[in-house]
Amino acid sequence: MEQRLMTSHSRAKSKEKNEELYEPSKATRLFIVWRKLKTSKMALAGFGIILLVSLLALLAPVIAPYDPNAIGRVRVPPSTMHWLGTDAMGRDMFSLILYGARISLYVGVAAVLLEILFGLAIGMTSGYFGGIVDEILMRLTDLIMTLPTLPLLLVTVILFEQRDVNVIVLVMGIFGWPFMARIVRSEFLALRETTFVEAARSMGATPWRIITRHILPNILSTIIVIGTMDIPWYIFWEATLTFLGFGDPSSPSWGVLLWRGYIHFRMEWWIITFPGLALFFTSLGFNLFGDGLRDALDVTTRGR
Amino acid sequence: MTLRTFVIRRLIVVVPTLFLISIAIFSILHLAPGDPAQAIAGRHGVSREVLELVRVEYGLDQPIYVQYFRWLGKVLQGDFGFSYLNRAPVMNLIRPRIPYTVELMLVAEAVSVVIAIILGVIAAVKHYSILDAVSSLGALVGYATPNFWVSLMAIIFFSSWLGWLPKGGVGTIGVTFPSPFHAFLDHLSHLVLPTSILVLGWTAYLFRMVRSSMLEVLGQDYIVTARAKGLKERVVIYKHALRNALLPVVTYEAYSMGFLLSGAAVIESIFSWPGLGQFMVEIAHKRDYPTLMGLTMIIAVMVLIANLCADIAYAIVDPRIKYE
Repeated sequence: MEQRLMTSHSRAKSKEKNEELYEPSKATRLFIVWRKLKTSKMALAGFGIILLVSLLALLAPVIAPYDPNAIGRVRVPPSTMHWLGTDAMGRDMFSLILYGARISLYVGVAAVLLEILFGLAIGMTSGYFGGIVDEILMRLTDLIMTLPTLPLLLVTVILFEQRDVNVIVLVMGIFGWPFMARIVRSEFLALRETTFVEAARSMGATPWRIITRHILPNILSTIIVIGTMDIPWYIFWEATLTFLGFGDPSSPSWGVLLWRGYIHFRMEWWIITFPGLALFFTSLGFNLFGDGLRDALDVTTRGR
Repeated sequence: MTLRTFVIRRLIVVVPTLFLISIAIFSILHLAPGDPAQAIAGRHGVSREVLELVRVEYGLDQPIYVQYFRWLGKVLQGDFGFSYLNRAPVMNLIRPRIPYTVELMLVAEAVSVVIAIILGVIAAVKHYSILDAVSSLGALVGYATPNFWVSLMAIIFFSSWLGWLPKGGVGTIGVTFPSPFHAFLDHLSHLVLPTSILVLGWTAYLFRMVRSSMLEVLGQDYIVTARAKGLKERVVIYKHALRNALLPVVTYEAYSMGFLLSGAAVIESIFSWPGLGQFMVEIAHKRDYPTLMGLTMIIAVMVLIANLCADIAYAIVDPRIKYE
């Protein structure tokens, strides 16, 4: 499916006529985005949740009442001693979940960075060279986009002997870039034809300069929006893979906690409830913020 | 270009794609750690001579491209290999599981499409109403909720605490039912939880699509024209707007087959639903590579066929499409 996309630059062009020409500084532009974001209560709520989760993750060693690996009485229900109870191994759930937030945030951000890296490289190559290179890369992109995510991830994850969070990040990065690449490519093709790129070229700017100074700044907002909206996606897939038992069993990742709760399940609702709630709120936060950011930055994404 | 040439051209594109997939699957699983001969012969106490014999017997001593074309030739004849772990042809293991996955996905899909379209249209028509706000918020929550977690919570709540619904499986084992109808009811009770959870997630997803698509269409000029002609609001909404709004939704649905299959796999695993997804997770754990190759290939073919159907259906339904 062809993704249609409209970004700030094309919108800005139509406004140019009735506004005096001036280049807002970076700080001013950030301020404009912030002012738009502020009007959306949902986006603010999302931002608040992200901030809270990040703080809890960052300050986990300070806040956590116990060492997440310390073993005490098993299957203790929530109490004043253990706010969220203990798991089947006698570890404090609250401390585990705090440390788990670090993993989830790391996974989301690292996988998105990989996605941006691959997406930019492949989208730009495709757009720049065109022809047969474009054809091959876009076929590959379509292929990965249509194949079911879970089998792809499963098959690749088991090729690695070690069970490690970085393996999962890498595997998700390998298959996560197609949407980004498609959008980068279509933006690139549109921008290449604009008069300001033509002007830059006529003044003898090198391709590198055109890409870094004229094209990248114009697709930045699109990349940021898609990246933000994809963070919960990766967090979700990491949790799914680890929940299915393909993660490092000793890590406090929320998916692993749920997996442990599931395989040792008797009647302890708290072992299942709290890691899932953490997952839900984090995902909700990024989704809300992503939606708000999309509106504030004036990017419309179709098909996802 | 006529529709027929369009279909033929699309079919021609599918062939190299399948070829590419088969190469990818074959080489990925060839990178897999471990010696396949060892897996065939058994883990312990096998002499080097026996391993050598196994290699010759199964053609593992041949160059890799020979092995690939042999495998491909068999796949084309419907032979997806032999699972050494299960001691059975892969196809025999997979075939009985297909109906279960199809059943689960069809039921969940049908229910979620109906709910999403009804709610989506109402939310779009009554934009900014309380109902719009509530259902949009609900969709956002449904969208952000991990389905496997909801499954676990539902099992705790409905099975462990209330005892209303079974924890998993497709039927109560070890019970003889007085009639096929009772057996069917028993099967339905097993279907309720997994389908409801799939419906929750998919409806949230679809609802957002229907709503935004409908809002976009309602803002079009021809809707204004239809209203200006004095058509009844009902006719405007259902005949003019909904039909056009559903076009992108329908294609998107067909294209998201892979995505739906992934979601169903997780649910199948939790509810011990003996479908393809549960099987996939199981054999991935056991690292049964031949079966994994066969199953991945079958799933890829299924997804490609679904996409092809989507393309053709779209071309038939939407006269504006140009057969590129």
